[in-house]
Amino acid sequence: MRRRMRNVALGAVASVSVLAAIAGCGSSGGSSSATTGVTLKLYNDKGAWSPYFNQLGTMSKKDIGIGMSPVGYTDEPTYQAFIQASFHTNKKPDLFTWQTGGQLAEIAQLHQVANTTSIWQQGIADGDLPKGLEQYYTVGGQQYCVPLNVAYWGMFYNKAIFTKYGLTPPTNWTQFMHVAQVLKSHGVTPFYETDVLFSFVWFEQLLAGTDPQVYEQLSTGKASYTSPAVVNVMKMWQTMINDGYMSDPADKTDPSVMLKNGQVAMVPDGSWFNTSMTQQNLKPGVDYGYFIIPNVNPSLPKTSVILESGPLCSLVNAPDEAASMKYLKWWITPAAQQPWSSARGDASANPKVSVTGDTDLSTVMKNAGAGQYNLLLRYFEAAPPPVLAAALDAFGAFMVHPNSYMTQLQTIQQAQQTYWSSHQAGS
Amino acid sequence: MTTRTPLRLTPPRVPAALAAGRRGRRGHGDRALFGRFRHGYIAPGALIVAGLLYLPFLWTVYLSFTNYDGLTPATWAGFANYRALLHDPALLTSIRNTLIWVAGTTLLPVGLGLLVAVLSYNLRGGAWLRLPFLLPYAFSGAGIGLVWGVLLSPGGTINHLLGFFHLPGASTPLLSYAPLNTIVLIIAMTWQQIGVNTLLFVVGLQSIPREPIEAAKIDGASGWSMFRRVIWPLLTPLTTVVVGLALVASLKTFDVVWVATQGGPGRSSETLAVTMYRDTFVADQYGYGSAVAVLLTVVTGVVSVIYLRQQLARREGLSG
Amino acid sequence: MARRRAITGTKVLVLVVLGLIWLAPAYLMVVNAARPAGAYNPADAWSPAGSFELLSNMRRAWDDAGLGQSLGSTVLYSVLSPALAILIGALAGFSIVTLRLRHGFAWFMLIFGGTVFPAQMLLVPLFIAYSRLNLYDSRPGLILIYAAISVPFAAFVMRNFFTGVAFSIFEAARLDGASTARIFWRMYLPLSWSALVAIFVLEFTFTWNDLLFGMTLSQSPGIRPVMPAVSALQSDVYAGTPVPVALAVGLLVSIPAIALFMATQRFFTRGLTLGQL
Repeated sequence: MRRRMRNVALGAVASVSVLAAIAGCGSSGGSSSATTGVTLKLYNDKGAWSPYFNQLGTMSKKDIGIGMSPVGYTDEPTYQAFIQASFHTNKKPDLFTWQTGGQLAEIAQLHQVANTTSIWQQGIADGDLPKGLEQYYTVGGQQYCVPLNVAYWGMFYNKAIFTKYGLTPPTNWTQFMHVAQVLKSHGVTPFYETDVLFSFVWFEQLLAGTDPQVYEQLSTGKASYTSPAVVNVMKMWQTMINDGYMSDPADKTDPSVMLKNGQVAMVPDGSWFNTSMTQQNLKPGVDYGYFIIPNVNPSLPKTSVILESGPLCSLVNAPDEAASMKYLKWWITPAAQQPWSSARGDASANPKVSVTGDTDLSTVMKNAGAGQYNLLLRYFEAAPPPVLAAALDAFGAFMVHPNSYMTQLQTIQQAQQTYWSSHQAGS
Repeated sequence: MTTRTPLRLTPPRVPAALAAGRRGRRGHGDRALFGRFRHGYIAPGALIVAGLLYLPFLWTVYLSFTNYDGLTPATWAGFANYRALLHDPALLTSIRNTLIWVAGTTLLPVGLGLLVAVLSYNLRGGAWLRLPFLLPYAFSGAGIGLVWGVLLSPGGTINHLLGFFHLPGASTPLLSYAPLNTIVLIIAMTWQQIGVNTLLFVVGLQSIPREPIEAAKIDGASGWSMFRRVIWPLLTPLTTVVVGLALVASLKTFDVVWVATQGGPGRSSETLAVTMYRDTFVADQYGYGSAVAVLLTVVTGVVSVIYLRQQLARREGLSG
Repeated sequence: MARRRAITGTKVLVLVVLGLIWLAPAYLMVVNAARPAGAYNPADAWSPAGSFELLSNMRRAWDDAGLGQSLGSTVLYSVLSPALAILIGALAGFSIVTLRLRHGFAWFMLIFGGTVFPAQMLLVPLFIAYSRLNLYDSRPGLILIYAAISVPFAAFVMRNFFTGVAFSIFEAARLDGASTARIFWRMYLPLSWSALVAIFVLEFTFTWNDLLFGMTLSQSPGIRPVMPAVSALQSDVYAGTPVPVALAVGLLVSIPAIALFMATQRFFTRGLTLGQL
């Protein structure tokens, strides 16, 4: 009995080994498909967008004869470490997503990223890329990468709840707080906040709406986290928390679920949140709406809107540089951007693209394109990594202990000082 | 007469050459008894571990003496990172949490695993009664994270249960305050890991020979005294495995904490491995994070050596 | 006799009560994985939904995550690597305990020391090394690293297990003229089947559930194991995957490990004899 068992086990191991040997011979994942043309590997940290990437890959195969298949990561730090490590190896990605802000400047200065100035200038001339976006992709006067996505951060709200209490989207801060007050008085939690990953959202929104100049200066090391403007923002946030306007930040429930079930009435999020809404079977304009959060400070000339934009990049020493550049060129055209935007229900960098069925978002996109907003880069991209890490922790701690805001700001400022003392200012 | 060591058969008479090999380490009977290729048996293990686990870690050791940020070429920093370790308040919290993890893990998953193994052993249908404890290990990580998020969310299931039984903590968000969040996470991890310990203890129980048990029964032992005098000592080899593994795993705790709280809020639930990961990959301070990694590795190594040396030395000379 | 029955009864009672507590989170998982995708509400997560949508959630998860391609290679890694590790670990344990290798403790610590390193720090250097050795994105490469991770555990268990085998068996067999290899294969390994099965089941599950190494050391759909694709669905905020679908996929990929646990239960109900001749 034992002998038979052992023989079976040995046989299994032997056969699997043989299979493995055969499999091993045909491994090292071939990058070109059996059909004609090249297939580019698009490394990204948006693993959940794989179905959408695959759609675009099929499309590009038809349009320009170059296919694309995504290699998705879900853990952002691991993804970054991997991409950075790949620069030193011969396994370089054909295409990869990255982050705007200081991160882009870093890899551009190391001459790792392909220059796309010609694509940008042509794109602006053709109306495929907005001029207002150019600065986020410019390092040392040259452009690098093209926009993978563009998202505007605004407020998603539950229409049924608003209708029930006779509320409409606010157009100034007084109305905004009035809406929150009414909801609170009826026992509905007005706003969503979380202490993981997106703990910076309220900070950036309040500061951008109070003093956008200080907001921008923070990311270049020219302002301090303990300056009066920032302290006032934290005080404002503290008041909102203490007044009971915020959801419990420790609640791990997905915000789309909370919004749908009425646990919160409003969720501040990027326009890509539409994808979550759709997954929950919610329709834009019917079940939920989207408005731009008004400025706190009414004397500012333009409404501050937080912009999130991620680049799609090609390496200087990519395996097939020509194909990669051709791909980037195709990516910004409406042929790619229209389906890319529609599949996810999100905005696009291309001004010619419209989002069907979502009037709220379409209006915002039009206004943004017309320069009506003061666009500010999202804090996640704008802050240098050590400062960001300190800030995320500090904001999370603040939400649990709102009275500790001074200590938290000092912690972030320490990280800020350490970083900028050894780096040149200038994102 | 109480015996605290297991029974042993008297060995058969063996020729002088073989006996000499048994006596000493350098007896010339060595080769005759043990064959010529002893090192060949250990070579594959040593090579694969040294090549794929030790060697890559040397890179980390090197980095701990630099100011590498993941991108720009590394600049030498000497012992600066290690000096900085001494002044990092977050590291202190991290060490404290890690110690709680070690204590909690050697108590809960090990203790409960032993309990389940002992209770279910020799019981009709015991294997099926064990199954609920083994299954959590089979579930994939993120699904568990989702479920425990529901259980531990403020106003979630556990809060409700505490309120139902009029216990304190019904309105405390369980993951927001240290060290409560660490303790709660240890419970969540116990749920998942108990199966490993149970299974290993069952293997240990299975390998206990009948004779010592029969002899002890004749002596009048049963139940608790049987366990204490016969079963527990004979279980030692596998107990050492379980505790040894629990020590190492608890020192390296990462996954549960990262998924649940990412070490927060405000770094209050970080363990050494989480601090290491956050400093290296989130804050892009590879040099400092590597120093934390080296610290963690050294601590884990030292603890393992101390524990195992004591445990395994006790066993030397027992089998023949 | 009655006392015996009372003791047995207490044992069963304790196990059942504890078992039910242990099953509670699993119940939560199943109930919500079976819920219609848009109907998740944490407020009543415990009550079963009206309709049973488990299979359609699983099918949707399968399509969204593209699981089909990665299953074959995941099976390969989870079967072959633990098998290799068990063999290597048993050889090591045998040489240290039975063959009385000189400086046995040091050799053992060398191998066991492999578990001491935090896995996250190994990722980048392994990736760089693999890319230079052409092991990146290859099945042998992944089989190798999974085996390496599993060896220390296997060696530890086997080493300690072998200490319980009476040395006299070895001596007597040598007297009979058997080679050490023969003794290992024909006597020690079969004696240890309980430990071998336990190690295999645990390491199969561990390898199957691995996320980090699979994600970092491979990229092709047919080479990458199943967890990176699954975790994309479950943990990415940009995905917006409804909770029932995320749970369904979690359950789906747990089936092989669960099946293995259940199928091997019978190995752990019998006693062994370890050389009491």
